[in-house]
Amino acid sequence: MAAMLNNSLFARLSRIPPAYFVFVALLLVLWIARPHMLNTNIMGIFIRQVVPLGILVLGQLLVMRVNSIDLSGGSVIILVNYLISSSFFHDASLVTYFVLAVASGVGIGLINGYMVGIRRVSAVIATLAMNIIVIGAVEFLASGKPPGAVPKFLNEIYNSKLWTIPTPIVFWIVLSLMMWVLLKRFVFGRNVMSVGENPTAARFSGVPVERTVILAHALAGLMAGIAAFVQTSSLVMGSVRIGLDLPILAVAATILGGVVFGKGEGGVWGPFFGVLSFALLFVVMTTFNIDEPGKLVAQGAIILLAAIFYGLKTAGSK
Amino acid sequence: MTSISKAFGSSQALWDVSIELFGGSVHALMGENGAGKSTLMKILAGVHQPDSGEIHKDGARVSFANPKDALDAGISTVFQELSLLPNLTISENMFLGREPVTRLGTVDYAKMNAETRRALQELGLTLDPSSLVSELSIAERQFVEIAHGIKADASVFILDEPTAALNAADVEVLNRHIRRLRDAGKAIVYISHRMDEIFEICDTVTVLKDGQVIGTEDIADLSPDRLIAMMVGRELEDLFPNRSENLGERLLEVTDFQIAAGSRPFSLAVHRGEIVALAGLEGQGQQKFLRALIGLFHPVAGHVAIRGRQLPLPANEANGIRRLRSYGAAFVPEDRKEEGLFLGLSISHNIAMALHSKVSELQPARSFSGKVHDTMASMNVKAASPNAPVTSLSGGNQQKVLLGRYLAANMDLLLIEEPTRGVDIGAKSEIYKLLRDFADEGGAVLVLSRETIELIGLSDRIYVIHGNTVVSNMQAKDATEHKILDAALGA
Repeated sequence: MAAMLNNSLFARLSRIPPAYFVFVALLLVLWIARPHMLNTNIMGIFIRQVVPLGILVLGQLLVMRVNSIDLSGGSVIILVNYLISSSFFHDASLVTYFVLAVASGVGIGLINGYMVGIRRVSAVIATLAMNIIVIGAVEFLASGKPPGAVPKFLNEIYNSKLWTIPTPIVFWIVLSLMMWVLLKRFVFGRNVMSVGENPTAARFSGVPVERTVILAHALAGLMAGIAAFVQTSSLVMGSVRIGLDLPILAVAATILGGVVFGKGEGGVWGPFFGVLSFALLFVVMTTFNIDEPGKLVAQGAIILLAAIFYGLKTAGSK
Repeated sequence: MTSISKAFGSSQALWDVSIELFGGSVHALMGENGAGKSTLMKILAGVHQPDSGEIHKDGARVSFANPKDALDAGISTVFQELSLLPNLTISENMFLGREPVTRLGTVDYAKMNAETRRALQELGLTLDPSSLVSELSIAERQFVEIAHGIKADASVFILDEPTAALNAADVEVLNRHIRRLRDAGKAIVYISHRMDEIFEICDTVTVLKDGQVIGTEDIADLSPDRLIAMMVGRELEDLFPNRSENLGERLLEVTDFQIAAGSRPFSLAVHRGEIVALAGLEGQGQQKFLRALIGLFHPVAGHVAIRGRQLPLPANEANGIRRLRSYGAAFVPEDRKEEGLFLGLSISHNIAMALHSKVSELQPARSFSGKVHDTMASMNVKAASPNAPVTSLSGGNQQKVLLGRYLAANMDLLLIEEPTRGVDIGAKSEIYKLLRDFADEGGAVLVLSRETIELIGLSDRIYVIHGNTVVSNMQAKDATEHKILDAALGA
């Protein structure tokens, strides 16, 4: 009886995405070791850094829930960064830049969706190839030189605050809420859930499976475009070597947030806290004077922990 | 082999059950799902241990701590879920954990293959012992498991629903092997829901209900009606609802439909208020025809009209289901676990999904909780709540959820494959009644099933299909299994 109670407690705990545990653990570490770090100003700066990642994750969780994956986010960031900072669209308005970013993202997302949903190409290979092609194209256009300056007004928006919270963070929360509503309250969310759980049964239920996959990829592209817009706004000068590690971090944060690859599970807030965990990790690492290599090791360790956690869970549910 | 007797603990899965198995005889074990058949057999196979009771074999008392003990004592089991490893060869599977070694300590493949070949030959099989199990058909895998028992020199063979995944031709081969084992003096336990098989192959039948033995009889003294009466406590006529009285307009009209190149084109029609069955031997084109309507099979030629509107053929796999739905028709797939249900999701998601998917994905999802509740109530789905995951339900209730999804979608025409596959007899009866109610309210049903008795009892009219074409169209009230088989084979 006691064993059974433990089992059901374990089962209930294992349904909570690991991101929450990691987040709480890191918060405790900070609270004990560096309590003075826990104020809105400092936290705001660190969390603002992960906003592009957080927005990218909103798309990643969507495609992973329909059993796909998108590894082309890095190329969208580089493309948008190049387009905004190069001389092509000099002195354009905020709206033009935003539309440019979104159109690039959606365009790449639609190609990904067509490849994965209609041509049935492996999602990993299709999006990775897309990534390489776009990065190559941008490097060709830039011919190796850094493009130019990022318009100043983008910088100003990035550095502004709404009340005490940095604008990018508010923007991220609003986008997350929108994604949450889309998945929770719209037919599209039900379609995503169905396709993730069993694509054949989804088809027999009348769900447009291909269209759902394409739409998921298009939305992931849209999110990548927006993430790229925010990322670019944070910079003074354009760069062709930025955001290359973002796609893999996005996959990691999504897994940490309880979206199980190939099972159609998970929500928006688990990955949200997955991203926050990475932000806290940077704070902890910085306060303990650990450099870039150490951060990489810690990131990897957290991803591995999440994977082990899910190994336990799937073994337990059999 | 003498008497086995046991009672089973607190859950009372089995209550003082005794059965006797004799060499040279096929003993059927029947009963609804949950009657205790599988538990009883798992005790005999050493998977479970009895709380009380004794097993005697050849006069001596035996007890099995695990399946290996049972196999060593000569009891071989082929379970519903196959237990072979697909990535190993046949002989590696046969010797798994007991591989013979050469003097150098390496695995003695020559010896393994030779012994495996001999066991396979006893079954009259010419499979290569070094071929991978994943390359074998389901039937061949089952034969390999039986060969496994032969190699272990088993005297008792337990076959738990061996034909659930087999087609008619393979069932025939399996039956031949079972008879061969019987003639070799082995005792065979045969568990199946399929009445025709029981009567064809078995000598004795024991009926279990609620963990107790209802009776053991010679098959020669029984009729199918009597057997069903023993299983459910009521007669066969009560199992099926009354037939239809009034027919409406033509709902589905198929003309000059040619399934394969060279097959004869055929035409058929289904009216409102009617349940029409597609009968015949397995794999004769029934399923191809039905799946052609949703684009999973491309026929050679033909016209299909629903309510007078032409359905363009060949349909497209990606949107075949959705197009069919726009004509007011639904397709209920055969395999509820693989094709039908979202096992990990809630009952309400499973039922409401066909309603959600009717509208654009950019619309807000309605709750449909009233509709789900009504469906569950009218279909008598036994579950804790609409939020319970479907995987927690019994097979019969899962099947009802699947059917409920399409009934709730308010369709005129239902195309159903195997409406009661792997469902116990109580739930079968309920499903028959639901389909009849649907037809009585002006719907039309086109159904195919491997169980001929089911088709005769359930439908109004039967098209017998053979060689990818319709060979006979008979009224169900005049039909018998014999007539249907005659029509199929006489064509």
